Amino acid sequence: MQVLSSLKVAFIKWVSRLYPMAKRNLYQFHGGIFPQYHKELSLSHPLKRGIIPKTLVLPLRQHLGIRTEAKVKVGDRVLKNQCIADTEKGLSAPIHAPTSGTVVAIEPRYKPHPSGLKKLSIIIETDGLDESIENVLAVDGAHPDSPVALKEIVHQAGIVGMGGAGFPTFAKLPEKRNTVKALLVNGAECEPFITCDDMLMQTHADEIVKGAQIVGHALGVEQIICGIEDNKQKAIQSFSKACADTEIQVHPVMTVYPMGGQTQLIQELLGIEVPSEHHAIDVGVLMMNVATLRAIYHAVTFGNPLISRFVTISGLGLEEPFNAEALLGTSFLELAEMAKPKQPIDYPLVQGGPLMGTALHHNNVPIIKTTNCVLANPPKPVETVMPCIRCGECMDACPINLLPQQLYWHSRNHEFDQVEKLKVFDCIECGCCSFVCPSHIPLVQYYRHAKSTIKDIRQKEAMAELAQKRHEFKLDRIAREKAEREARIKAKKAAVKQKTAQKPQAKSSAAAAAAAKAAALKAKKPSATTEGQPVLSARDKAIAAAKKRTQKAKPSTGTESKAPSDKQPDARQKAMEAARQRRNQAKTAEDSTDKAAPKDSKSAQAAAKRAAAVAAAKKRAKKTTEKQESNDDT
Amino acid sequence: MMAPISSPFTHNNNSVRKVMLNVQLAALPALFTHIYFFGFGITIQWTLAMFTLIAVETLMLKLRSRPVWPYLTDFSGLITVTGLVFCIPPEAPWWIIVTGITFAIIFGKHLYGGLGYNPFNPAMLGFAFLLISFPYEMTQWTLPTQVSGHFLSFMDSFNLIFTGHIHTIPLDQITGATPLDEVKTALSTGVPVPVTLEGESFNRFRIPYGWAAVNIAFFIGGIWMLMSRSIRWQYPAGFLITMIILSATFNWFDPENYAPVRFHLLTGGLMLAAFFIITDPVTSSTTPLGRFIYASGIAVLVYVIRNWGGFPEGIAFAVLIMNMFVPFIDQYTQPRVVGYRK
Repeated sequence: MQVLSSLKVAFIKWVSRLYPMAKRNLYQFHGGIFPQYHKELSLSHPLKRGIIPKTLVLPLRQHLGIRTEAKVKVGDRVLKNQCIADTEKGLSAPIHAPTSGTVVAIEPRYKPHPSGLKKLSIIIETDGLDESIENVLAVDGAHPDSPVALKEIVHQAGIVGMGGAGFPTFAKLPEKRNTVKALLVNGAECEPFITCDDMLMQTHADEIVKGAQIVGHALGVEQIICGIEDNKQKAIQSFSKACADTEIQVHPVMTVYPMGGQTQLIQELLGIEVPSEHHAIDVGVLMMNVATLRAIYHAVTFGNPLISRFVTISGLGLEEPFNAEALLGTSFLELAEMAKPKQPIDYPLVQGGPLMGTALHHNNVPIIKTTNCVLANPPKPVETVMPCIRCGECMDACPINLLPQQLYWHSRNHEFDQVEKLKVFDCIECGCCSFVCPSHIPLVQYYRHAKSTIKDIRQKEAMAELAQKRHEFKLDRIAREKAEREARIKAKKAAVKQKTAQKPQAKSSAAAAAAAKAAALKAKKPSATTEGQPVLSARDKAIAAAKKRTQKAKPSTGTESKAPSDKQPDARQKAMEAARQRRNQAKTAEDSTDKAAPKDSKSAQAAAKRAAAVAAAKKRAKKTTEKQESNDDT
Repeated sequence: MMAPISSPFTHNNNSVRKVMLNVQLAALPALFTHIYFFGFGITIQWTLAMFTLIAVETLMLKLRSRPVWPYLTDFSGLITVTGLVFCIPPEAPWWIIVTGITFAIIFGKHLYGGLGYNPFNPAMLGFAFLLISFPYEMTQWTLPTQVSGHFLSFMDSFNLIFTGHIHTIPLDQITGATPLDEVKTALSTGVPVPVTLEGESFNRFRIPYGWAAVNIAFFIGGIWMLMSRSIRWQYPAGFLITMIILSATFNWFDPENYAPVRFHLLTGGLMLAAFFIITDPVTSSTTPLGRFIYASGIAVLVYVIRNWGGFPEGIAFAVLIMNMFVPFIDQYTQPRVVGYRK
């Protein structure tokens, strides 16, 4: 078997000399591209350390999650490693002072983000003394035995995923031991130009290995595998040396973009696919970037927070590209100027690599925890975008095996339901499709637009639903209140009537007699008038009806009133009947209130249900807005 | 500072133009072979086609208010020209190719929205139009030199194309039916296939003079296109495999009535179709499995039309029919996305 597979590899390698894309059969995931790497540019110059710029700009959010709150005031003197911003409100990572100095301002500043917006930042004027607080996290240097203990340290150290995603690392760690079967160390670094992980592995392999051991120990991991692309031979050597006496395996992997993607590297190293809409942790895999592991080592062993990182400053526009261990908050432009630009940097710098990086609106932005590369590539003439010829290059290059060409077609036509059906949300935006498109169509931009539009539509739908629920709730409440009011009034009326009925008969009989007399008089009057005027006026009719109602209480009045009613017996009878009924109703007011009570409780139940639904909807809406905010801000 | 765009910021420098030029390059061996066997007629037709293409395409782009230069220089029209020029008789009157190209470019391409939007293969649409409209002119093929004993000079071809006659040779000596036609006609008069293959149009390997060589030249060009990724392997693979299976099966059961595999593979425009016509990405299926099904479908139709249809060569109709099924095929052959169940 071993022989066969090595023969197959040798054959494919031979074929790939004639047909380069045959190389796609040498790894586990679909597609992939082979760009020009230009890695030698920054590797040919020595690593720079100890750069302390005059000012450091530290955005209050350098991670995925919510913004931290400044714990210092303008004018405060801060020491290296001192925690200057934190929050308890939600997912976040605290921020520490990278060196000693004075806080000169807390104001919105530009940060490396595609939005190009200013975000609240702490500005420190450094004093060059680099005075520090040692072991600020107060650790004893022992490896934590439980995931929770490790999570605590990692959280306090402000460590986030340093490969680019910036997800706070503590939140990625599971709470229980043994949930993670395999810890994968991501040293693939597949983006062109970037060499900071390579440099880190060459210079600090032992620290990364110790970091991996700490995590493995705390989580009870069975297997630790490190994947390094085979174009980093020096890194593989130094890493293998550092792993010599440990259980960690070093796996050189094929040099292909996007090997460093989480899903891709898991496929390559373990041969398993992470199911859609699941995380790696669901299949028992935890992946960590080499830089993150080193930061964990420093936090656990020395109690040092994350205040600096390896950054590549490279690009075709620079004379002397280099790698640096830069303090967080150092300006992009300052670092680029140190690399001797070939031409003035009047073009946008890029944070990250050429395939997934972010072009900057403003070049004077700080290095943050997720910045792995400052790229200075002078702009090239823009190619005309031609129509899609459906050649399928994009499909062959897609590591997720999507149909980019059809996604593009439907995105362009705003057929977003189709776009969703074609699984646009599984797109990792790696840029392979755009890279190979002979028509130079900016495919990824179309997918980004489609994704955000679909999210927008969903949010609007949720809002509409919420509004509808609110409206229904309101109508319901009005109806309920009306019913309650009516019931109350009826009850009151009934009570009054009962009272009047029970009052001493003497008074009432006198009054009744008087009334009867008057009624008789009045009754005569209409009967007299009817002779002259055959039709009763409406008013008279009403009066007669009212009279009848009052007289009906006593049986005697009935006979009295019957006389004038002879003329229109049917109508009168009906009116009387109706009046009786009304009266009965009033009498049984108690019954009616009893009936109303269960109805009320029913509606109250419904109202409670609705209220709960509304609350849930509100919560959802809040969540989505929060999410969006966090997306905006990262 | 210019407004930044979003990633990616790099490209492999491929372009539509390069792809199209590659296809042109791959057609050159076949062109030279064609000249060797059938004379210079094809070069004149090619030139005529080019001028027509430039004129019609410029006019249509102007009418559609599109920029002329980028769309004229994407060279996609060249593929249409190649597809059509090899399909018409080399000494056909000049207005045949002019009409054909004009129809193909206007009705096959620009009326649908130009490059990338046409549902039917323009070259095959033009060819079908010519075959139906001018059946006589379209079937008067120049015989290969080995058969007729004449090699037409450039001037002879020129005169034939523009005036319709030349003084030196009687016309019926140099033109005749194609081998496909010959076999079909012979069958209808009761002559079995093996006897026809003994005829003077066929060499000692029982394959037709000229035609076989041109087909082999197309095959070589096709291999080059596969290696340079100008075309996808599923098209020729699906097409040729299905063709071989069908012709081998029928020939096995009834060699008297059904021609052998080598005859089917090396006559007519089979290799042209396999590598240059059905590989047109715009009008064909895009999913890997879909491409295979699409190509196989064309092969089945070609075989059916060749053996039981009214036309001697069925490639144009087969391609046009399968073009109609493309959306359907694409819909049901979508590949499995990573992270979804197998």
